Amino acid sequence: MFGLPTQDEPIPFDELPLDDPLLFDEPAGVVIPDIEWSAIAPNLILMLGGILLLTVVSLVRGRTPSWFSAVWTISTAVFAGVTLVPLWQRVQDDGAESVMAGAIGLDGFSLFVTGVMCLSVVLGALLLEGYLRREGLAGPEWYVLLLLSASGGVTMASANDLIVMFIGLEILSVAVYVMAAMHSKRVSSQEAGLKYFVLGAFSSAFLLYGIAMVYGATGTTNLVGIQQFLSETVLTQNGLLLAGFAFMLVGFGFKVGAVPFHNWTPDVYQGAPSPVVAYMASGVKVAGFAGMIRVFVVTFGPTYGADWRPMVYALAMLSLVVGSFGAIVQTDVKRMLAYSSISHGGFILVAVAANSEAGTAAALFYLLVYTFMIAGSFGIVTIMGRTGDGLHALSDYRGLSKARPGLALLFTVFLLAQAGVPFTGGFLAKFYVINSSVSQGQYVLALIAMSAAVVAAFLYLRIVVAMYFDGNTYRGESATLAGPKVRIPAAAGVALGIAVVGTLWLGILPGQMTSVAGDAVAQLVAIGP
Amino acid sequence: MRVEMFTFLVTATIVLAGSLGVVLLRNPVHNALSLIGTLFGVAVLFIAQEAYFLAAIQVIVYAGAIVVLFLFVIMLLGVDKSESLRREPILGQRPAAIVAGVAILGLTLTALLSSAARVTGEQSVLAPLDPAVPDINRLGRVLFTEYIFAFEVTAVLLTIAVVGAVVLIRRAGDPIDLGEFPDGTMGDVLAARAAERNPTIDDAADEEAGLDETADDAAATDDAAATDDAAGGER
Amino acid sequence: MTVDPTLLLAADGPVTFPILPALILTPLLGALAIFFVPARRDDAFKQIALLTSVVTGVLSIYLLTAFETGEAGFQFVVDQSWISEFGISFHLGVDGISLFLVVLTGVMFPIAIMGAKITHDIKSYYGWLLVLMAGSMGVFLALDLVVFFLFFEVVLVPMYFLIGLWGHGDRIYAATKFFLYTMLGGAFMLVAIVALAILNQRGVGGDLTFDLVQIAQNQAISTEAGRWIFVGFAIAFAVKVPVFPLHTWLPDAHTEAPTAGSVVLAAVMLKLGTYGFVRFGLYLLPEAAHWAAPVMLTLGVIGIIYGAICATMQKDLKRLVAYSSIAHLGFVILGVFSITTQGIEGGILIMVNHGIATGALFLLVGWIYERRHTRQISELSGLQKVAPVFAGVFTLVMLASIGVPGLNGFPGEFLALLGAFQTARWWAVVAVIGVILAALYLLWAYQRTFHGPVTPGNEHFRELRWSEGLVIAPLLALIVFLGVYPAVMLDRMGPSVDALVEHVDEQVDDFERVEITYVGASDIPEPGHDDDSDGPASDEHGEEGE
Repeated sequence: MFGLPTQDEPIPFDELPLDDPLLFDEPAGVVIPDIEWSAIAPNLILMLGGILLLTVVSLVRGRTPSWFSAVWTISTAVFAGVTLVPLWQRVQDDGAESVMAGAIGLDGFSLFVTGVMCLSVVLGALLLEGYLRREGLAGPEWYVLLLLSASGGVTMASANDLIVMFIGLEILSVAVYVMAAMHSKRVSSQEAGLKYFVLGAFSSAFLLYGIAMVYGATGTTNLVGIQQFLSETVLTQNGLLLAGFAFMLVGFGFKVGAVPFHNWTPDVYQGAPSPVVAYMASGVKVAGFAGMIRVFVVTFGPTYGADWRPMVYALAMLSLVVGSFGAIVQTDVKRMLAYSSISHGGFILVAVAANSEAGTAAALFYLLVYTFMIAGSFGIVTIMGRTGDGLHALSDYRGLSKARPGLALLFTVFLLAQAGVPFTGGFLAKFYVINSSVSQGQYVLALIAMSAAVVAAFLYLRIVVAMYFDGNTYRGESATLAGPKVRIPAAAGVALGIAVVGTLWLGILPGQMTSVAGDAVAQLVAIGP
Repeated sequence: MRVEMFTFLVTATIVLAGSLGVVLLRNPVHNALSLIGTLFGVAVLFIAQEAYFLAAIQVIVYAGAIVVLFLFVIMLLGVDKSESLRREPILGQRPAAIVAGVAILGLTLTALLSSAARVTGEQSVLAPLDPAVPDINRLGRVLFTEYIFAFEVTAVLLTIAVVGAVVLIRRAGDPIDLGEFPDGTMGDVLAARAAERNPTIDDAADEEAGLDETADDAAATDDAAATDDAAGGER
Repeated sequence: MTVDPTLLLAADGPVTFPILPALILTPLLGALAIFFVPARRDDAFKQIALLTSVVTGVLSIYLLTAFETGEAGFQFVVDQSWISEFGISFHLGVDGISLFLVVLTGVMFPIAIMGAKITHDIKSYYGWLLVLMAGSMGVFLALDLVVFFLFFEVVLVPMYFLIGLWGHGDRIYAATKFFLYTMLGGAFMLVAIVALAILNQRGVGGDLTFDLVQIAQNQAISTEAGRWIFVGFAIAFAVKVPVFPLHTWLPDAHTEAPTAGSVVLAAVMLKLGTYGFVRFGLYLLPEAAHWAAPVMLTLGVIGIIYGAICATMQKDLKRLVAYSSIAHLGFVILGVFSITTQGIEGGILIMVNHGIATGALFLLVGWIYERRHTRQISELSGLQKVAPVFAGVFTLVMLASIGVPGLNGFPGEFLALLGAFQTARWWAVVAVIGVILAALYLLWAYQRTFHGPVTPGNEHFRELRWSEGLVIAPLLALIVFLGVYPAVMLDRMGPSVDALVEHVDEQVDDFERVEITYVGASDIPEPGHDDDSDGPASDEHGEEGE
């Protein structure tokens, strides 16, 4: 009854499947898998970059200048990004592949997500550089963890095996738990780290439980195998599989901050160091969604889409509503952005719920745009937090347009882009999602999504009001910005520049990127000959 | 009842009792010891599935090394005070947790019982283990063929864990509260809420309202004052 | 803020100069120039803004002269693929319906820029105004659903800042309300647009396209879907117009906006909604528009009466003008949804003439505010004695707004009522009351403000300056000219409107086309002819005017 082995006597030798190499003791019978280094080059570069950085700074302790680690990290991420180009070409020409003994899928989807992860590492490192000096926390560990975490995200996005995906998720998350708690001078940072860790561990357990159930239902953890099994077999009893879906969805839902698994988001975003939040909101979310899409849309989508879609539909709806309305009552900018990121998560879930290639492309495009927007927004929050990273109340932004007009304008661009104003990437991202949703006949969800975007727009306007309108009276006298002087470190300036250029570029000339996102299809192919 | 079933029931009881002990007991040493019970039960389950190597590893690594390490830490740091569980940071947290827990348990049981006998991906569960090949060999092979990537990439996870542990232990200075929680740290908030729930009798509002009224009325105003306080605290 | 340079090379047809992109890009370049000029150089911004907006205005007038009269189709068409993945392209074109709205935009912006003064944040003020101009131009020129939506939404941002930063009183509330209302409407429209494109693709096969002309010609979607989609569009446009009961943002936004903002809002922005009804209601979804016509007519008539009654009760001069806008735009709705050639022509005439007259009224009210720092009717009195020229100008503009024959307000209202009378008789009958009420509230307000004794505070009311006179002179000229000779407009819009009604007739089964035959004129009503046939109506005005 509980699935214990019931085989009491061994199968006679002549009935054994002799072609199974595992049955032979001789090394000759072991098929050593073909390790194709080039196929996992971006991941490998991120990984080795992190570990080498750790080694180098350990060996030359005390002599590395503070910018060294940042430059190292950025060049590593850029290098990893560059290696994507030939791989992308290869995938577009020869089709997707399964490498590393079928554990890693090399397809457009994973490469696209890898690119976004590299981008968020670059932006995160740029923001960290000035931040760490300001806070007196300089140390290479931040960058080491950043790079390793990103490699986990890449692993997750390209995993063709649930176990690999789980390990990727853990690499991604554990590093971020630590980073969230690493501002050792702030109580709230440690509180955030602990909360994130406890809840994250919970969600991992759920995910693992779900994986176990799916394994029980399908007999394999390999996504290709699962997809094959489900398309070839009609399950008369699919309770285990469906329970597996539910648990895995809970696990992913935690990671992407979908309602009702979102409770950690505002607290953690508020407490964690701002540049880390920038990475958390972009990189971690991107990887979480990548994993979700890979498992649900690509693996289960063709056969069991009808079963999980209602669940994702509900998650999307709740996230949109709770995220938008929850944001309105906040008075802390970081919490506001946290809620708005929940709402954005809802938007991406709308694309996931479409369960189509168009939906995947829409989610990818959204994630790319979102990375620019949110990294930019939290970049400004980083700068505005000033020493101590504590000035995040809405009132601390009052009069920013006078004190720092450029910064206020940039923040306005990011906020309006998040609201989905045309000629910013945010609009096209939303358009893309609505398109994919409507083409699946989900009109109601599309309407809810757009209405939630309007509610969320109120939040963004509140910040704009604080920056522009609260500070000056009708006659033009203006209240001055309270608190210490706002300093923009050069590196953070570069990050903001990249983010704003990206946001506008994807809004004005998106043609190229939409077609890339359209080509970034996820494919599960069995390991080649 | 078959012997497998019997074994399973006994070990499952041990596992559950152990995990309950981890959660419910107050003394950290007892928690750690209960954990051993759980891990031991899991090891027995492995044996029942003829995964002897895993069972051995389970006992040696988890029960033998990790829990002992826990105990060392507990003893060395002298963390033998019991943590008070009476505080309830979020109102209605406990009933909500119970409801959620029961719901999850129900969902799991429904799923499992509805298809328990029909674990659909049976091929691997029921595949015969060739007694000629020790499972340590099989594990080794699988790790270095099918799961080579997962195996290797776990190294990164361990690296992160080490780096993280070192970083978090090394203190750059005393934590300072920079005022990002206007009401103080979480501990202060909890203390304030606890105080709210037990309003002191010499409350000014009480005295004013309750002087010349009957006992019933005084009780009513007492309640009102308490809610007022709560509202004030919210603001 | 860059646009593909190839856009400029893609002109089609006899005119090689890509005039339509130029209409959008010129103000945008001006805004960019302002962005890059350092903030110290306060004097430069107004000059740049004026220069680029005047150039745009001249271009729009050139467009008017180059426009092929008698052609029904789109002219000066530019089609440049933007996002090929979705079949979205910068498809721009102008026909008789949008032509005058483009010209109106081109004319009103320079006047708004010249006519209003601001004291702080000069740089961003002119920058936003130019962005607004580019956006408004884009809305009227776009022939692609998504591009239309882009411009339709993007104008919110400059308007939001104009109201919020340079407005009066409760400006933040007004700005936020304006933004959210319109954006909510836009949310429905976006879903409708996407649904329309996808259903159109399913209907006819081929690639996804958002091209207005193609979808309108295909008419490939089912009746029911078409009606739902129309509802989506209608909510967005009804907010923008605004149609009762979605109008509540308008009085706030109008009243709190700075003068230039009010002028632009009244003259141009409100027309985005009514234009949308013509282009995306009747043309794109004729069946649904015909189906919804009774509801829309009713809402239009409610708007006329409601706006007029509210205007009567206002104590604030600017708020009064704002409510009068609701009434005027009710006439547009009435005319357009009568679905007759005369009604639609009348609607378009009102759009343009309301823009001119109400724009001028807002300028005048703004100048009164500059002089007196109050807009309360009760605090103003006897201005006619102190500033006779000012009062004279105000009288003329007010009479135009009332719709006195011979001034530009009249032909539009008359044609709209005439059209409505053919197909929606009782609605038209009720709407006529609105004409009377318009005379009532405006004349009453005029009487209280300009007549009577000169109360303290009003003795030193400054007479109209030369500079102000120069600003408003073109509007006065237009008011008289278009009142006397509306054929300039009717000739050009006639074929397009005819084609539109023809299109509705072809696509809708139970639609009966109502033709009005004129004695002695076969196609277009001559302006003199209008006056002849309008004995009773003009009498009404005359009576109320006493």
